[in-house]
Amino acid sequence: MKKLFALLLALLLLVGCSNGGGNTNEGGEQPSENTAVTNQIIYGSTTELNGDLGNAWWGNNASDATVRELINDYSVITTDQGGELVENKSVTTGVTSVENEDGTKTFTVGIKDGLKYNNGEPITAADFVAYALVAYSPALKEAGAKVTPDTVVGAPEYQAGETKVLSGVRLLDDHTYSITISADYLPYYFDASYASLSPLYLPMYASAPLTVKDDGEGAYLDGGELVPSELDASRTIYEGRVSAGPYQLESLDLGSLTATLTINPNYAGNFEGQKPSVEKILIVKAVQETMMDQLETGAIDFLSTLTDGAEVQRALDMEDTGKFKTVHYERNGYGAIFFQCDFGPTQFPEVRHAVAYLLDRNEFANTFCQGFGSVVDGPYGLAMWMYKDSKDILASTLNSYTYSVESAVNELKDGGWTLNADGTDYVDGSGLVRYKEVTPEEAGDYAFNVTLADGRILMPLHIEWSSSEGNSVSELLAVMLANGDQTKEAGMEIRQEIMSFGDLLNYYYRDSSVDPKYGVKTYGMYNLATNFTAMYDQSYSYTVDPELLAQGYNTFFSVDNPLLDQLSMDMVYGVEAGDDKAYLDTWVAFIQEWNRYLPAVPLYSNVYYDVMNAKINNLECNSLFDFQQAVVYATVE
Amino acid sequence: MTKYVLKRLGYMVVVFFTVSFLMYCLYNLIPQDPARLELEGIKTTLKPAEYEARYKELREEMGLDDPIVVRYARWMGLAKDRKGNLNGLLEGYFGYSRYFKKDIVEVVKEPAKNTIFINIFATILALGITIPLGIYCAVHKGGKFDNFTQVLTIVGYSIPTYIIALLFIYIFAVLLRWFPVSGIGTPGATYTGLKYYVDKLYYLCLPLMVMTFGSLGGMTRYVRAAMIDALSMDHIKTARAKGVHEKTVIYSHAWRNALLPIIGIVIGWFLGIFSGSLIIENTFGLNGMGSLYIKALNNHDYDLALAMQMFYTVVSLVGALITDLSYGFVDPRVRIDK
Repeated sequence: MKKLFALLLALLLLVGCSNGGGNTNEGGEQPSENTAVTNQIIYGSTTELNGDLGNAWWGNNASDATVRELINDYSVITTDQGGELVENKSVTTGVTSVENEDGTKTFTVGIKDGLKYNNGEPITAADFVAYALVAYSPALKEAGAKVTPDTVVGAPEYQAGETKVLSGVRLLDDHTYSITISADYLPYYFDASYASLSPLYLPMYASAPLTVKDDGEGAYLDGGELVPSELDASRTIYEGRVSAGPYQLESLDLGSLTATLTINPNYAGNFEGQKPSVEKILIVKAVQETMMDQLETGAIDFLSTLTDGAEVQRALDMEDTGKFKTVHYERNGYGAIFFQCDFGPTQFPEVRHAVAYLLDRNEFANTFCQGFGSVVDGPYGLAMWMYKDSKDILASTLNSYTYSVESAVNELKDGGWTLNADGTDYVDGSGLVRYKEVTPEEAGDYAFNVTLADGRILMPLHIEWSSSEGNSVSELLAVMLANGDQTKEAGMEIRQEIMSFGDLLNYYYRDSSVDPKYGVKTYGMYNLATNFTAMYDQSYSYTVDPELLAQGYNTFFSVDNPLLDQLSMDMVYGVEAGDDKAYLDTWVAFIQEWNRYLPAVPLYSNVYYDVMNAKINNLECNSLFDFQQAVVYATVE
Repeated sequence: MTKYVLKRLGYMVVVFFTVSFLMYCLYNLIPQDPARLELEGIKTTLKPAEYEARYKELREEMGLDDPIVVRYARWMGLAKDRKGNLNGLLEGYFGYSRYFKKDIVEVVKEPAKNTIFINIFATILALGITIPLGIYCAVHKGGKFDNFTQVLTIVGYSIPTYIIALLFIYIFAVLLRWFPVSGIGTPGATYTGLKYYVDKLYYLCLPLMVMTFGSLGGMTRYVRAAMIDALSMDHIKTARAKGVHEKTVIYSHAWRNALLPIIGIVIGWFLGIFSGSLIIENTFGLNGMGSLYIKALNNHDYDLALAMQMFYTVVSLVGALITDLSYGFVDPRVRIDK
């Protein structure tokens, strides 16, 4: 028996050590190529690859997106290191636009000669037009893809199958195409993004010998039909995938959740003409709990956007050894307390202000981010060019709601929160909950209202707070705000209800289609986090239109603030593209009004840390310029 | 015997439909709107009117406004879908994963392969160690080795697998650097043949060690207890008194009697090769059924989660039948003749 036991253990160790201790190039029938390559980066991603390379038309898994963006980079319009839209000069000879009499706008794009796919075949304007013809096709919609056609003239009709010709997109010659944007979407500050198309290699999407043609009425596909099942299958073509980016796909193994990419020899460069020098990129699964061990043992070379204090501290300790390095940058987003401003106490700005005053936000950010975070005073990120350009104005005009119980009490008194439950005057420091006399409209059907014998309606300063389970922000908020002595002292009561995140979102969106109970105004306060994209567009997020409110467009329910609605719309739909000054002025006005109205209390904005093996140089990511964009500048020693 | 099996198969059909209906209803009770979830990603690119139109279209397409019985019948393949076809579970169509945007069969393929590969080794290793160990401890009950094993198995039984995993990773991967921290193969390697399997096994050594260590406690103690009971029976004393060889007493007389309480667990283990270990797979970054299931739940992909559960339901029902039949093979006293 002993022998058997020993034999099994020995066998296990033998199998293990036969590979672990030796050179992986030895003894195999077909040795690994990568083990000989030192000029490579192993990118650890905590999101598992799903293997969907279908142009984000179906899903948008983060790891799939990383692969997609590394192998496709010939968009006509892209974003630079500061998140600003720029023309991709490696692809275009020029982009011009003209406003038409019917209010539409036509962009004409010149495509450079000599562009090639990774397989060596030439890229012409027809390949860019093919992208639009496939993206807006009824077959793609039938294949389950979600693509919005509304911005392009003729695209809704084309997608509906009413016409075979896409009138808004024209193939003018081998090196020129045009795209016409619908008047409904203009003027739009980011309208250049509508002009952006990428090359699409048609043989990978259809078995029929399709070609792009234009007889003067618009572009169309000739030579056959697009088939939904073929379009669907194109998402998972890994072997010999034809693409046009800095890298090409060598393999994608869903069993081991690994994608292997090598340099595309035909790549013409990014928007600055930069070509990659790192020969190979491997995208592998990083396990949250052990990813720092993976990095330390060399299983991965790069980890992005660390936020956990312990992980960041370990990364900094590893940097001290000289074998690793870190890069840090501000998050383009924040965590916040979000109010619903159309019922209960949180409908009153004074209450929202008081909540802000009652929380020491600097201390909160410092504790939650463990020293690696900061506080903002509005819906912006510190990396945005708008913030950088208006820093001084914002510093002098925004209220930072510095922690002060006295200021909170004063706000509440000014707001009329001066009564006890029986209608008598409230005595500061009594520890009781404050009440305010409200009109029937203000009272609404808030469950905690009290009606006195004389008919007066009193609303208690009692806020129902919805928070998701297992949420460390909620736990800290409960300690520092809801259960804090200062909150009681100010006469406020915040009652936390912990629920699943799905439940929280249903209440947040008041989604009565799921269950009528979610349509009832129940919680005035939520803690959530959000990120901003490079194109800062807050349109419809502050709408006061009842129909749009019902559709969940304005989750703040800021129905009493049409100015916020107007500014958020004007910022993008009231400003011509290129008029940066007008955009910035509206942006500043929006931020100032937001800060005054305070539909949310910003809590923290993390400082992100990227940590990498010291062999990697010049890999400078930021929250608006991610790994797949920055890696073309990187080198490996 | 045939009649008994047919009767059991009949029961299985009834249980399958009952469980499937209950499960379907339970998943549909979860407060969520799949149509809204589907559109959430492109909401900001749609004008409100277009969003509403698409939302209604999707609800219609998904049949969300139909009664639950109708939806169940479609899902099961008892009623025609919107295209007029019978295309459900009974026809072999497991559904469509809304998170992966693929047919569920396609989604499950790779994780199932990994899970089965891992579990076959884990099961063989665990049984190969625990059964002989349990027998040895029972035969040498109260000895030093038995006492040591008792302590060790209690430790293995008491410490959560997650902690064992982290401990093993720290010792064997970080400190000693014998094994990789996680993964299922050398990233980017293009091994084939034997080298491919050796590489895979090398990466799986640590998770297998953790799984084996974690399962040592329970199974060893089961086997030990069953063997102690069997060894104390009168016929064992008689056999020893008659001078039967000790090995024959242990393996032929005692072990067959001890097998009865263990057989169910052993068969359960083999059937369990289809179900992944949530903790092991997540800790070691393995793409298996356990991590897929939790991913499905976290991403509200209830069609995928439901399909997986129905598969496990079938495996459990078949497993229960095999277990019952196997009792008869092991012990003629409980053999079913009717």
